[in-house]
Amino acid sequence: MDKKSIVKFDNVSFRYEAAEEGEKLPLAVDGVSLDIKEGEFVAILGHNGSGKSTLAKLSNSILIPESGTVTVDGMDTADEEKSYDIRKTVGVVFQNPDNQIVASIVEEDVAFGPENLGLPRDEIRKRVDDSLKAVGMYEHRLSEPHKLSGGQKQRVAIAGIIAMLPKCIFFDEPTAMLDPQGRKEVMKTVIKLNREYGMAIVFITHFMEEATLASRVVVMDNAKVVMDGTPKEVFRNREALRNIGLDVPSVAYLAEELSKSGVNISPDIIYEEELVERIEKLIGDR
Amino acid sequence: MIKDITLGQYFPGNSVIHRLDPRIKIVLVFAYIVAIFLCKNFYAMGIMFILLLAVILLSRISPKLILKSVRPIVIIVIITSLLQLIYNRTGEVLWEWWKLKITTGGVNMALFTTLRIILLVVASSMLTYTTSPTMLTDAIERLFCPLKVFKINVHSIAMMMTIALRFIPTLIDEVDKIMSAQKSRGADLESGNIVQRGKALVPIFVPLFINSFRRAYELAFAMECRCYQGGEGRTRLRVMKCAVRDYISLIVVAATVAGIILLNHYFPTVL
Repeated sequence: MDKKSIVKFDNVSFRYEAAEEGEKLPLAVDGVSLDIKEGEFVAILGHNGSGKSTLAKLSNSILIPESGTVTVDGMDTADEEKSYDIRKTVGVVFQNPDNQIVASIVEEDVAFGPENLGLPRDEIRKRVDDSLKAVGMYEHRLSEPHKLSGGQKQRVAIAGIIAMLPKCIFFDEPTAMLDPQGRKEVMKTVIKLNREYGMAIVFITHFMEEATLASRVVVMDNAKVVMDGTPKEVFRNREALRNIGLDVPSVAYLAEELSKSGVNISPDIIYEEELVERIEKLIGDR
Repeated sequence: MIKDITLGQYFPGNSVIHRLDPRIKIVLVFAYIVAIFLCKNFYAMGIMFILLLAVILLSRISPKLILKSVRPIVIIVIITSLLQLIYNRTGEVLWEWWKLKITTGGVNMALFTTLRIILLVVASSMLTYTTSPTMLTDAIERLFCPLKVFKINVHSIAMMMTIALRFIPTLIDEVDKIMSAQKSRGADLESGNIVQRGKALVPIFVPLFINSFRRAYELAFAMECRCYQGGEGRTRLRVMKCAVRDYISLIVVAATVAGIILLNHYFPTVL
């Protein structure tokens, strides 16, 4: 498979400015190389302060790398003249939905991006309606955002980004502030965007279960990429994950324990359906 | 309690009044307020009252909400009426006790100012009740467009207003949360004199301000991510176009103002 690269991090390092002059903070991102391809679904895992959120801001020239380059669809993010086109290509959804919604009516907020792009009115209308339908918030198009639940607000924020028709969306812990119900709603929407709309998704999270849904998992620790592979490959390295303060998905943990106690189950299982199927088969065999 | 404030609130609907061009609405409400002050007798005021009543009926906003908008000014109305009753000494004396004298002139004036204040408040609430905040700021942006000549960035001001309106409910929730958090740590917000109470508010406002700055940063990032570059080259989802109903409403208000001037001329002045 030789797919076109959408966002390419090439040996990127970045550090935040210290509050006091002369002082230097440690690197937030240290020599990261990462290639996100068209239509890919990548999860980035890491505990707090591992630099994963900084990657999202580096992806669309909100932040410019100290060294190395970030290339978006052939454009260098350090080139200020391109920042407009870069942001059209790569959208970012942040953690707190309250701080991303600009207007006091749902549809007017979703229209904010297309309005900034200077699109004609009919096109804005169409994009707003399509995006709201894609996230399942069309019935709420005339509601006020502060009257919606957390999951609904986050879906409005996502609609605001997809209305700009980006090729790739970075999600910076979009479920961290949501209840389980809201988390499910958002995950369903994200998967739909990837499968039905073919958008490349980079999903930054610290929930292991969410990462298993991706086709590729990247693990960050201490500003560096330490693992990169399919979910099965990554979650096989249990000890290494635990050492950097991450856990494995509970399904994988259960499979591991069952296998240890002599049940004929592969410890590699990370999906719930897979485990259920396997156990049903074992019971059936008896 | 803070959540009960209705002034400046919007009630979505699809009536003729809701669909009027917000620019026209602002101009008309302004004209209406000026006209209230032009009224010199009850006949003129009566016409203004009928016009407002017609607008309320057309907008299908429930009378309960209208009453709610009047509630905060009840005290002001009572005080001004009392002052008029006591100090106005024109006309026949209706009732006298020691130095107090209540006259027909006083009663008339009290009624007249009460009516004036209520019409003022209800008319301006009708504007915000039937126009979404974004529409309102949009209209302000367009109405003040000519100020660009003086290098005033009208778009930025309108954007700031939109964002301020959008964050009012969010910040109210936040104040509630911080208050509960501080109370649960033993902060005493309800007792003591004014100075003590004022001091007790400091631990509420400091986190509120810090959080607001953090929110502002995040919002700015999110806006940049959505290609916001100021007003240049921006198009709008809603286009404001004057329809027949807008011209009709202009004619109605103009006719009312003309009627008031005539009534002022032909009937004796209350003042």
